[in-house]
Amino acid sequence: MSGTLVAQGYLCRAEEVAEGAARGFALTGRRHKVIVLRKGGRLYGWLDACPHYDGGTPMAWKSDAYLNGAGTHLACHSHGAHFDMTTGVCTLGPCLGQALTRVELHVTTAGEVFAAI
Amino acid sequence: MNIIGPDYLVFGVDDLPGSIEYLTKFGLKPVGVDASGGLFEALDGTGVIIRAKSDPALPAPLKTANMLRQQVYGVQADSDLDAIEVELSKDRRVVRLADGSLETADDHGFSLKFQITRRRALSMPAEKINAPGAPAQRAPNEIGVWEEMPAAPRSLSHVVLFVPDIAKAADFYCQRLGFVVTDTLIGAGPFLRPKANDDHHTLFFIRTPDYMQGCEHLAFHMGGPTELMVAGTRLVKSGVQSFWGPGRHKFGSNWFWYFNSPLGCHFEYDADMDKHDDSWTPREAPMGPEASQIVLFEMREKWAPGGPPPGAKRE
Ligand code: FES
Ligand SMILES: [Fe+2]
Repeated sequence: MSGTLVAQGYLCRAEEVAEGAARGFALTGRRHKVIVLRKGGRLYGWLDACPHYDGGTPMAWKSDAYLNGAGTHLACHSHGAHFDMTTGVCTLGPCLGQALTRVELHVTTAGEVFAAI
Repeated sequence: MNIIGPDYLVFGVDDLPGSIEYLTKFGLKPVGVDASGGLFEALDGTGVIIRAKSDPALPAPLKTANMLRQQVYGVQADSDLDAIEVELSKDRRVVRLADGSLETADDHGFSLKFQITRRRALSMPAEKINAPGAPAQRAPNEIGVWEEMPAAPRSLSHVVLFVPDIAKAADFYCQRLGFVVTDTLIGAGPFLRPKANDDHHTLFFIRTPDYMQGCEHLAFHMGGPTELMVAGTRLVKSGVQSFWGPGRHKFGSNWFWYFNSPLGCHFEYDADMDKHDDSWTPREAPMGPEASQIVLFEMREKWAPGGPPPGAKRE
């Protein structure tokens, strides 16, 4: 089973996430996906767990559909909460004042994106 | 006041193409839908109407982020519209539209419309089951499931609202419009049914802060638990995110399966809900996982036991 730990943290290749886009990646054995988004050229990682309900619930309405209609915010498609894409802070909706859990990302020189969890 | 239940729920959305894709995947039929939105209907003609949130044809938005713009209630007859107009005109503006329908708002400011119901009478069998001790419901050689079996939403079942003041909400619908409380989840709120509908609930309230006021979910009746699970499985396979379920609620006894949506609320398939009449004595239970459901499952990818015999090498 060597290599398992590394494989668990692998999310995607950096170029798979376009500017202004967000995508969700499952990690083996993890309940929540990791959202990887690119904003202003930088990659950000967030746990796909809306803080509105205990334990956190998945936010997309379909695979990779994490943004609001205008593409300006991460949105929870349960009750419409909006989150700042770069700070994770809820700016609108049920979890005002709360924030998403940040996932530290490591991008290798080969362009592979890993989650540090 | 013979109110039957919601004919339509109207939303002003911020992702019109996504919402059109979603409602179609959910199994609702677009009727005259174009780039500006339109009606998506269940088999009986009830359904969801969507427009872009900036569309001037929509009723005003709520003060919150919620996208619900109006609840359109169906009533039996003109005399019911007259009775509603007389009652609600006592303390609020009620507008009579050219087609005879009424527009007004409830005590929380939710926009309401009342119309002679547009729902069509359905005539189709419920899910049939066979069990020892009871007459078989399916004839010999009549099979229960097949890959392409239909599993379409039959009728708009209920709407659940986040409201800051439960008493104010329940009083309005019960005292002014003749709804009846069937059961109450203490800590959440009451289940209501209108007079001309014997379903356990067409309306449920959940107490929340006022910045959350809006629609928590809406539900469509399916033909039975199998249709519910088949439709839900197809939806998840199409990429839609499951939120809660499948399972079966205690109050109402209905099967449920909730999904996220781009309309800012959950969409639910429900099936096999209890029926009630005025002889029913309402129950109460504190809200919580035990009171909420008798069983809860979570979907997993299809799998079957099998494979190579023990000890054999896997490829
Ligand atoms: S669960 Fe995310 S807004 Fe309610
Ligand atoms: Fe429901």
